[in-house]
Amino acid sequence: MSTAAPGECLLEARGVTRRFGGLVAVDAVDLAVRRGSVHGLIGPNGAGKTTLLNLIAGVHRVGSGLLRFAAQDITRDSTAKRARAGIRRTFQNLKLFGEMTALENAAIGLHAQTHGGFFDAVFSTPRHRREERSIADRSMAALHFVGLAGLAQARADSLAYGHRRLLEIARAIVARPALLLLDEPAAGLNVTEAAHVSDLIARIRDEGTTVVLVEHHMDVVMRVSDEITVLNYGRRLAHGTPAQIQEHPAVIEAYLGRAAETDRAQA
Amino acid sequence: MGALSLSQFIDLVVGGLAIGCVYSLIALGFAMIMRATNIIHFAQGEVMMLGCMCGLTSLWLLPALPLPVVIAVGMASSGLIAVAMELTVYRTLRRRRVPIMNIITATVGMSILCINAARIIWGSEPLRFPELFATSAYEFGGVRISPQLFWIMVMGVAIMGALQLFLKHTPTGLAMQAVAQDQEAAQLMGANLTRMMAYTFAISGMMAGAAGIMLGSMFFAFFEMGFITGVKGFVAATLGGLGSIAGAMLGGILFGLIETFSTVFLSSAYKDGIGMILLIAILLVLPSGLVGLWHKRR
Amino acid sequence: MAALIALPWVEPDKFALHVISLIAIASIAAMGLQVLLGYSGQLSIGQAAFYGIGAYTSAFLTVKLGVPFPLALIGAGVAAAIASLLMVPITRLTGAYLAVATLGFSIIVYLFIKNEEWLTGGSYGFIGIPRAELFGYVLRDPRSSYYLNVGVAAIVYFVFARIEGSRFARAINAIRQDADAARASGIRVTLLKSECFVIAAFVAGLAGSLYAHEVRYLAPNDFTFWKSIEILIMVVIGGVGSLAGAILGAAVVVGLPEYLRAIGDYRMLVFGAILIATMLFGEGGLAALVAALGRRLCAVAMRLIPKLPASRKAAQ
Repeated sequence: MSTAAPGECLLEARGVTRRFGGLVAVDAVDLAVRRGSVHGLIGPNGAGKTTLLNLIAGVHRVGSGLLRFAAQDITRDSTAKRARAGIRRTFQNLKLFGEMTALENAAIGLHAQTHGGFFDAVFSTPRHRREERSIADRSMAALHFVGLAGLAQARADSLAYGHRRLLEIARAIVARPALLLLDEPAAGLNVTEAAHVSDLIARIRDEGTTVVLVEHHMDVVMRVSDEITVLNYGRRLAHGTPAQIQEHPAVIEAYLGRAAETDRAQA
Repeated sequence: MGALSLSQFIDLVVGGLAIGCVYSLIALGFAMIMRATNIIHFAQGEVMMLGCMCGLTSLWLLPALPLPVVIAVGMASSGLIAVAMELTVYRTLRRRRVPIMNIITATVGMSILCINAARIIWGSEPLRFPELFATSAYEFGGVRISPQLFWIMVMGVAIMGALQLFLKHTPTGLAMQAVAQDQEAAQLMGANLTRMMAYTFAISGMMAGAAGIMLGSMFFAFFEMGFITGVKGFVAATLGGLGSIAGAMLGGILFGLIETFSTVFLSSAYKDGIGMILLIAILLVLPSGLVGLWHKRR
Repeated sequence: MAALIALPWVEPDKFALHVISLIAIASIAAMGLQVLLGYSGQLSIGQAAFYGIGAYTSAFLTVKLGVPFPLALIGAGVAAAIASLLMVPITRLTGAYLAVATLGFSIIVYLFIKNEEWLTGGSYGFIGIPRAELFGYVLRDPRSSYYLNVGVAAIVYFVFARIEGSRFARAINAIRQDADAARASGIRVTLLKSECFVIAAFVAGLAGSLYAHEVRYLAPNDFTFWKSIEILIMVVIGGVGSLAGAILGAAVVVGLPEYLRAIGDYRMLVFGAILIATMLFGEGGLAALVAALGRRLCAVAMRLIPKLPASRKAAQ
């Protein structure tokens, strides 16, 4: 979908800032995501991780700063335009199409790669038939990849929570995006399910998709990330490999300091 | 067309302000209901119409009724009708957690119900109000104003002022504001949600009833009067900033002036069209209204 | 299907055929709204505008310009579709705001129809519209116009039924359920929403043209807000999201008053009440009711039929 050599920077954020009223949610953050890596984004609650993700996805407009994707400036692009360019995402609060089947949900992910419209459907043109077959095959493959093949015909809102999280991912990867933004994919999952998600993310990376992962489950993040950026109070606090981050004094302070504050307040 | 003489200009301003007060009162109702329930109450115009009809009926029964009493009757009836709508239909729908579109469709259905009930009860002919005001013009420093328009403005301002006082300085009013801002928190503080919602509808209904009597006395009463005026009230509320009470008042006055002055440039046949075009323009260009614009500037 | 074709021979009552023609015409407009409301989730209470534009365009083309009917029919649809392009900016809006904007638009169109007498005859009406004429054959009796109207309705039904399960249908369904999620998957939401408006406007225009040549007289009062509401009621009563429901709804809204003269004046009152009741008690509408009834009947039949061979086996 995009052209950038492996190891090169696929997504770059420079001095990105975003305010909400008086609150500075993201404060002059720099981020460099290498192609083919899994880049973790962590930080205490309220650090600005999801906001940064939303800025990359185009949900919020950047207040100041620059966003570059595959060497193109995408700072002013709409969400749909970025999605078509190869940036796909999942949502923290799950935004599935409840009334549609799992297969149809996955198929939505392929809408932008195909072209058949109203008239194609009415007259059942060769293009229509060809595309519908291709969509069906690729959607099924995506469900297979995340482990939901058996539930293809089930209505999305009838699925168990863990399966809904997987479906959300399937919809996002079916088009083989260059960049995948995962917003707390393991939220609310038990240990086994979370481990399954870690493996899934690693496999996604192995297939060639770059991943930015916002997550609270530390075992998931540490296990699967190649690099990690830590945010605190909207600012970049630290950046490095999982091992480095775990030893980083400022990071420990940020997490432990918060815990100590809460303990003191409750005493 | 030529230039306007001063007296023509004054007439237009007074006319615009008077009808603006009417729009403001209806717009207030939209704003209050929107704040509390997040729906556009399509039947608001019909509440206004029913208040007007009830007021007129009371005048038929007791022709000597003084104006303030007529208005009180109108306000009381429309308030009760609005509360009835809320308690029978809207509350049930909210409890069932139906999608918002369904609630809005239900208000459309309510609107149809009211209009046709009114047509059956009061007939389809326009009905004139008896003379409620003095006929000779008042004079203020050389400027002549029709008493009817004068008193409508005075009453409009008085009612809106009373509403502001009520909302800001009485426990019930403050509780209503709390509910509008955050239902859960307000309930935790002890506010009775059902009652507050009922009050919201009652008050917005009363505002509409007053507007109805004013409008009816300015022109005439008929079963469909709530429809287009209701839409215009909505335009006014949107112009001010939907969900803002101050915005509704401002939007009403402003829209009244805009509409009245537009008759200078446009044939009166298209007068209603002004409101529609303004509505679409606001929704597209400035959806959060004038109040939203003011907030952004800060 | 066969029943529809055979009907005029079985029940040749002219009035009945005329009513069914009106139902068919109304159902075309209702199916258009179904695409807007049921499929893409856009509440439009201004469809009467396109219905009216279609009607007056067709009348104008045949009466003032002598255009043959088939072209006038298509022309009506095209005119309505072009007018709907004015709505494109409005499709950015959602929910009640979109609804009010469509209402505003339809009021403007109504004012135009009422005031531009030189074009539409204004309040005096547009008279003398010829009967529909296909390839030189004038549709003089209710039976022929029945075939025309029901035929067009059937075509519209089948066209809309075809798109089910397609990429287009999935996309507008997704927009209805969660427009943000649709955007995140790369769907051009506003473009697709506009497409639905154009489609709905086109068929409403077709319906308008058929209407003009069926009743052969147009007055602005036929194309007010109330007409838009009638079309909405058809869709809601029939069942939001069901194409067949739109037809059932049209049958109830148009057919019932014609046969129950007693209702007459109370027509809209009853419909208003039904609208509220449908919102209170379940949105499947008539279509869901019929489907549920059908399932019950099948279940009962299933229990009765196996009894025969089974009891024979037991007897052996």
